[in-house]
Amino acid sequence: MIPIPTSRITSEQDFRNRRKIIGAGLSAMAAMACNGPLLAADSNATGLLEPTPLKTINSYNNYYEFGFDKSDPSEAEKTLITSPWSVEITGAGADKKGVYDLADMYGEFAIESHVRRFRCVEAWSMVIPWIGIPLANIIEKLEPNSKAKYVAFETVYRPSEMPGQRKRILKWPYIEALTMAEAMNPLTLIAVGLYGQDLLNQSGAPMRLVVPWKYGFKSIKSINKIHFQESKPKTSWNISASNEYGFYANVNPQVDHPRWSQSRERRIGNGFFGAKQPTLMFNGYQDEVAHLYQGMNLRKYF
Amino acid sequence: MQYMVKVFTLISLIPFIILSFKGFGFFSGLGANPIETIIHETGQWGIRTLIVTLLITPIGHYMRHELYKKLPKPLGLVSLFYILIHFLSYALIDQGGDIKVIIVDIIETPYLIVGWAGFLCLLSVGLVSLKKLQTWFNKNRSTISGIVYTAAVLGVWHYYWQTKVIEVEPVLLSILMLLLTGWKFKTSKKKS
Repeated sequence: MIPIPTSRITSEQDFRNRRKIIGAGLSAMAAMACNGPLLAADSNATGLLEPTPLKTINSYNNYYEFGFDKSDPSEAEKTLITSPWSVEITGAGADKKGVYDLADMYGEFAIESHVRRFRCVEAWSMVIPWIGIPLANIIEKLEPNSKAKYVAFETVYRPSEMPGQRKRILKWPYIEALTMAEAMNPLTLIAVGLYGQDLLNQSGAPMRLVVPWKYGFKSIKSINKIHFQESKPKTSWNISASNEYGFYANVNPQVDHPRWSQSRERRIGNGFFGAKQPTLMFNGYQDEVAHLYQGMNLRKYF
Repeated sequence: MQYMVKVFTLISLIPFIILSFKGFGFFSGLGANPIETIIHETGQWGIRTLIVTLLITPIGHYMRHELYKKLPKPLGLVSLFYILIHFLSYALIDQGGDIKVIIVDIIETPYLIVGWAGFLCLLSVGLVSLKKLQTWFNKNRSTISGIVYTAAVLGVWHYYWQTKVIEVEPVLLSILMLLLTGWKFKTSKKKS
């Protein structure tokens, strides 16, 4: 990746290329999906994962930058301008500091399909067929130095485009973070779309984090800054209520939220009379991530 | 007078009518999580109606309008109606009607204990008024209104406690509840 100055604006041609690149990737993926291996590869613990309908995913969102209610983000005016889009890489751990254009990243990395469970801290869940770039692939190219112990992400701060940021609901901009080992896990994805389409504003366009074994609030949306740093970053929900939202926020049916149980979840789109289902340890990704927390007291480090 | 009471009662039922239409797919329907929509909306309209019910007495007191004597009872019953749907849709649909599951859920969720207590308060008053135990009802007016106040305080607390960040409505309802309780204490002291 080539660093670009902040002043650079994506040319129309670059922007068109971006579409082409995604388009090519998508048709290839669609072909694979028809044969089934992608979906099958993503199933475990509870069998084959049935993705939540697109309309449901796009109309039930927690994105306080666009309002409180689940329907607010999808009903909000599409005010957030997501193209061109650039991401600033900073922090003591970053050797290749600079501002990178998202359009360039499309040419640089292969886009993968990840069908994953998504579990909100509010005890509802979905299954989402993401497309995106594994974060590890991006980090490898950025070659952060030994000071990079944590990766922090920031949501774009544009109160004129995001009405919720004009109110003091949370400390803006929204910040989330991972340990380096979590960031390098193959499950961790920088998603750019779902169901083969570009992300919409309400789902975190144009690029967002997906950490499927953690509660949804860790999967920060509309990222435009990435810090590599040595100290543990202060994250938004943890600042808001540190006794309720921990830094790790791993999905864990044994550790309840102080005000509600985390042992079960409602799978959105399962019908009016659909029963709640048991929540799985690490949201069903125990085999892939349990080693990251070996010997850790998960009740203390929630 | 009786006509005005009917009009106000009907107005208080409009949210229920809209919710029913949503259930049949009108007004963009109940959304991606229909059971949550029903539980939230009936809970919100239950507590709103209850607070309006309690506001009628002080407002009528200052406006010296006779309506305030007739209106609290039907409006209180409408509030109970909303809370009844709120509770039943939680217990029978959200929790699948499994008593053991409900008990565990209530124990693990502190704001549900508060909500449950508020519901029992309101239900007890509702049952008394429905059974038309008028003599008992009339003799124990202060006890009855005390229970309704308790129900409202618990209801607002139940609402406030489950929000993730500070939201306008629960704060507003809490302030109203504080003012109402202050007024209640002031007037009941005068009487004794």
